[in-house]
Amino acid sequence: MTGHPANGLDDVVHQRVRLGILTIAHEARQVEFGYLRESLELTAGNLSQHLSVLEKAGLVTIEKGYAGKRARTWITLTAAGTSALREEINQLKLLIHQVDGTGG
Amino acid sequence: MTTRPAGAGEEPQRLLADHQRLARQVRAAQRVTWFPLLVLAAVTFAAVPVYGLGGFARTCRDQPGGGRICTLYSTAALVYWPIALVLAYVAIAGFYLRRNRARGVGTRVLPYVVVGIVIAVVTGTAATWFFTHPPVRQYHLVLLDLGPGHGDLLFQLFSPTCAIGLGLVALAVVERSRALFFLALAYVAFAFVPGDDLGWVLTRPSPWGGSPRLVIGGTVLLLAGLLFAAGQRRSRRGTA
Repeated sequence: MTGHPANGLDDVVHQRVRLGILTIAHEARQVEFGYLRESLELTAGNLSQHLSVLEKAGLVTIEKGYAGKRARTWITLTAAGTSALREEINQLKLLIHQVDGTGG
Repeated sequence: MTTRPAGAGEEPQRLLADHQRLARQVRAAQRVTWFPLLVLAAVTFAAVPVYGLGGFARTCRDQPGGGRICTLYSTAALVYWPIALVLAYVAIAGFYLRRNRARGVGTRVLPYVVVGIVIAVVTGTAATWFFTHPPVRQYHLVLLDLGPGHGDLLFQLFSPTCAIGLGLVALAVVERSRALFFLALAYVAFAFVPGDDLGWVLTRPSPWGGSPRLVIGGTVLLLAGLLFAAGQRRSRRGTA
């Protein structure tokens, strides 16, 4: 393994939708499924698949409940999710810095 | 954001730009700055009759070098402010929680509410103590060296205006709002403008003497609340 920042990228997090989910969950503390679906312009099925990947990786927790009679699903970032997001952003900044530095 | 496939070849610039855009969008959805400003404006306006119609008390103490130093204060206001501010912060917390849950996002307001309540209780207690114990000797307060000649500064530091301003500084940090931060600093500075009546009342002493400060403070909060409401509505439409 070399010291290139691309080697530090986590395939679970280094993906537009999943990075978006982690970003929103980080800013919102807790985010509802419907808000994520609208913000990321995804279908419910597609979002569920990405959430499942993140949940299996231990980066988010998913909690189902009710607001009145309406079923709601809340997503919360775990400590591992916060670290993974921070690491991904650092690696992205490093990559951009390297590309800019080499004039690419 | 699209649903097209992506992998390790994602362009870093675009990913980072998306990350920043989404973070801004969530912050815009979470901000309800206008509500605390309007609640605090209402609390400030409601204080005018509390001072005007409530009773006043006077406490005098002998100074070590001779002579006496006296304070004249509104007993009703000393009770009103801590209770009104704590209730205001509870209402603000409830509103943020309900509003943000309805929008589908969590809230960051709780640190502001806790800081606001602590400041309200501390300043209320300190003001009560200083009014009933006029400063006859030197006080060392953090970086300040205060004595009998600096009584005004003590009362301004522990005034409700200063408490509201400091609370707003906390809200500005929580909401990462530069505009609110400068407004909060200006409001704290306003608490230190000398003269309770700002020189506007010709007949003294009057129980209504503090009204100009309260009316000006309340009006600033009211106008700021309306401006933030308009700005945040526009911002949400823009990021939606």
